[in-house]
Amino acid sequence: MPMYQVKPVSGSHMKTDLPTCMYALPNVHALQNGEVEPAVKALEARQDEIMRKLYELKAAVEGLAKTVTTPDADLDLTVSSSLSSQSPTSTTFRGITDLDTLLGKDLGALRDIVINANPAQPPLTLLVLHSVLCQRYRVLSSVHVHSSASSVPPQLLSCLGPRHPDSYARQMFQLGFTLIWKDVPKLQMKFRVQNMCPIEGEANVARFLFKLLSPYPSDPAVATLVDSWVDTAFFQLAEGSAKERATVLRALNAALGRSPWLAGPEFSLADIACYCCLLQSASVSSAPTNVERWIKACENLGHFGPAKLHLK
Amino acid sequence: MTKEEAPGATEEEQQAQSKKGLKKQQKEAEKAAKKAEKQAKLAADQQSTEEDDFAKDRYGVSAMVQSQHKLDRVLVRVQDLTPAKADQLIWLRARVHTSRAKGKQCFLVLRQQQFNLQALVAVGDRASKQMVKFAANITKESIVDVEAFVRTVEQKIESCSQQDVELHIERIFVVSQAEPRLPLQLEDAARPDGEGEEEGRATVNQDTKLDNRVIDLRTTTSQAIFRLQSGVCQLFRDTLTEKGFVEIQTPKIISAASEGGANVFTVSYFKTSAYLAQSPQLYKQMCICGDFDKVFCVGPVFRAEDSNTHRHLTEFVGLDIEMSFNYHYHEVIDSITDTMVQIFKGLRDNFQTEIQTVNKQFPSEPFKFLEPTLRLEYTEAVAMLHEAGVEMGDEEDLSTPNEKLLGRLVKEKYDTDFYVLDKYPLAVRPFYTMPDPNNPKYSNSYDMFMRGEEILSGAQRVHDAQLLTDRAKHHQIDLEKIKAYIDSFRYGAPPHGGGGIGLERVCMLYLGLHNIRQTSMFPRDPKRLTP
Repeated sequence: MPMYQVKPVSGSHMKTDLPTCMYALPNVHALQNGEVEPAVKALEARQDEIMRKLYELKAAVEGLAKTVTTPDADLDLTVSSSLSSQSPTSTTFRGITDLDTLLGKDLGALRDIVINANPAQPPLTLLVLHSVLCQRYRVLSSVHVHSSASSVPPQLLSCLGPRHPDSYARQMFQLGFTLIWKDVPKLQMKFRVQNMCPIEGEANVARFLFKLLSPYPSDPAVATLVDSWVDTAFFQLAEGSAKERATVLRALNAALGRSPWLAGPEFSLADIACYCCLLQSASVSSAPTNVERWIKACENLGHFGPAKLHLK
Repeated sequence: MTKEEAPGATEEEQQAQSKKGLKKQQKEAEKAAKKAEKQAKLAADQQSTEEDDFAKDRYGVSAMVQSQHKLDRVLVRVQDLTPAKADQLIWLRARVHTSRAKGKQCFLVLRQQQFNLQALVAVGDRASKQMVKFAANITKESIVDVEAFVRTVEQKIESCSQQDVELHIERIFVVSQAEPRLPLQLEDAARPDGEGEEEGRATVNQDTKLDNRVIDLRTTTSQAIFRLQSGVCQLFRDTLTEKGFVEIQTPKIISAASEGGANVFTVSYFKTSAYLAQSPQLYKQMCICGDFDKVFCVGPVFRAEDSNTHRHLTEFVGLDIEMSFNYHYHEVIDSITDTMVQIFKGLRDNFQTEIQTVNKQFPSEPFKFLEPTLRLEYTEAVAMLHEAGVEMGDEEDLSTPNEKLLGRLVKEKYDTDFYVLDKYPLAVRPFYTMPDPNNPKYSNSYDMFMRGEEILSGAQRVHDAQLLTDRAKHHQIDLEKIKAYIDSFRYGAPPHGGGGIGLERVCMLYLGLHNIRQTSMFPRDPKRLTP
């Protein structure tokens, strides 16, 4: 939609004498004024349709696989699909994301994400996101202990799972995930030290990592909703008082009554953050019905294994 | 007129002179009389003091210790003097660090290695005036035996290491007297950089310190540095022994240079010439072929490089490791880095006093490391440098400024002062380095860095005689000279790797010092052969 419309300054039928010593080129603006080439449009539509079908198929197969592997999985799909007309098929993350477009050009070396975390507060969300990242990319994960951290419990040393059998060749990986247990007041991520300042706070790092998995919703309202849920999770659920937590639980319950996931029909970072913080604040037992159902649904996704492992 | 006047003037002058002379004489006589009086008084004084110096046998210069007596006297260490020992009568042997007389009292600071405490001689019923005077006149750095009561103090003595107690001296004997003039003052040598300039006080430069190394070694900083260095050696030995390594001793006089020909010392060896070993490399490898499996070696290493830098010595102590591995040379890297981490941890946990002491004179950030140690690959390092705007080829060796820059970049991202750089380009490594199976441009070699400076260079070695011959030919090495070395791999050699660390460099970089001569007790460089 054009913002301003200006009347033509001169008559549109003016005849100009063009010199003959120049080449004549077709008008490159013609397409913009008119419509996009219909053939291209049709092709795009066809591709979108094919992709959509493919995703539905993939989701259906995964749903089936889950019903086979986990005993009470049927809760997930059936209950939530009865809630909304749209079936929440996306248990894996949508959108084709390419690391080159996301993180800038390839320099021929491993892109290593360094996360400094305090062993007193293991970042559960990041552990979850790590395991999802591992399903998507070839991730070289390593855990280190910084000399400033004293006595790190052994289960934290193996929190990123067993060592990759190919871990001796760093060049074979797309992404490095280096978790350093360090005496830091606030969780910190360092990625490109040359042109990025260190990112502080688990919530912000989680947002960054999630964008590597799927683009944020294009609708600004939904994107903001996701962000606000993430903030709520980290500031009110994880750190808040009992009273605040109760308020959040009520809000969660209301939101989950309207849609299967927190930010609508799609599983998003909001769900990961709220689930992990809920787990950490140990208020799972007092959860209202919608929240309880949502917790089960989250657990059925199978992403939260690493987080539950470190809840002690 | 002039003639008449002139003699008159002279006469007057003469008269004046004689008057002056008289006055002078008179004065001199007065002076002499005063002197005589004074001397008489002094003599009388001395006589009287000698007569009534009741504490005569409580001080003095004791006879030279030639082991005439074996006393049952227990000498207490300065560091053990705490409020727990309050009001005990103890014997102590220490150096006089400083002395300050003040009327009827004399304060001494007694020093023993890096510890010191305040002692006090005061005129009273135990000590006489003469004793106080004697104590005040003991030259700095003399060694004394002292019997004293330990007393707690109300106000902490800030200038001493034992802040809660002081000594009330009962007896004091000089065991060894120092010359009154010292070539340098300990306070000046131990003053932090920059502080002297502000206060207009003297600082001692590095060369003067090294010329008078014996005195410089007495400073608390030097004491701490070399205690820590001993700790590094000890931790190195302990860790490796625990891992099942065997300590070996290798010859230092060798017949052929091991690493390139240029930078070796030649010594005359009867009718022929020999070289001083640049590294125990060949012998370590031969031990591996001799089925020793895992060996290490602590000993002198010689480099005849004519480079006068802050980090090069011509003789230093090498800590060398060589081990056979099963399938991948990263087993060796893991073993070495773990040893280093154990050393760092040991220093952090057991040598905190020494680190603090050195930091007082040479402030630096505490040494940071990761466990397990960070390992980066050469291509990654090149990418990091490219990103920082450094232009260099993929197979180019790291220059010293680039090494430092890389160290800073790694520190910024990972916050570690210690890391391993793996997979160096084959072209920049010695002939016995194993090529990378996946990319012939690279090799199975690694360097380790502390605070951005290289401390260890190592690799998987070629254990196949044929490949070794090929590589030597490629590097245009005379095969005749290294025949014995190549032959040792003909009769079955296990895959192996290793590396060598410079002890002085490790200490220097761990403490964040700026000159390797500070961590070498009697440094050798192209310009220094004494002391």
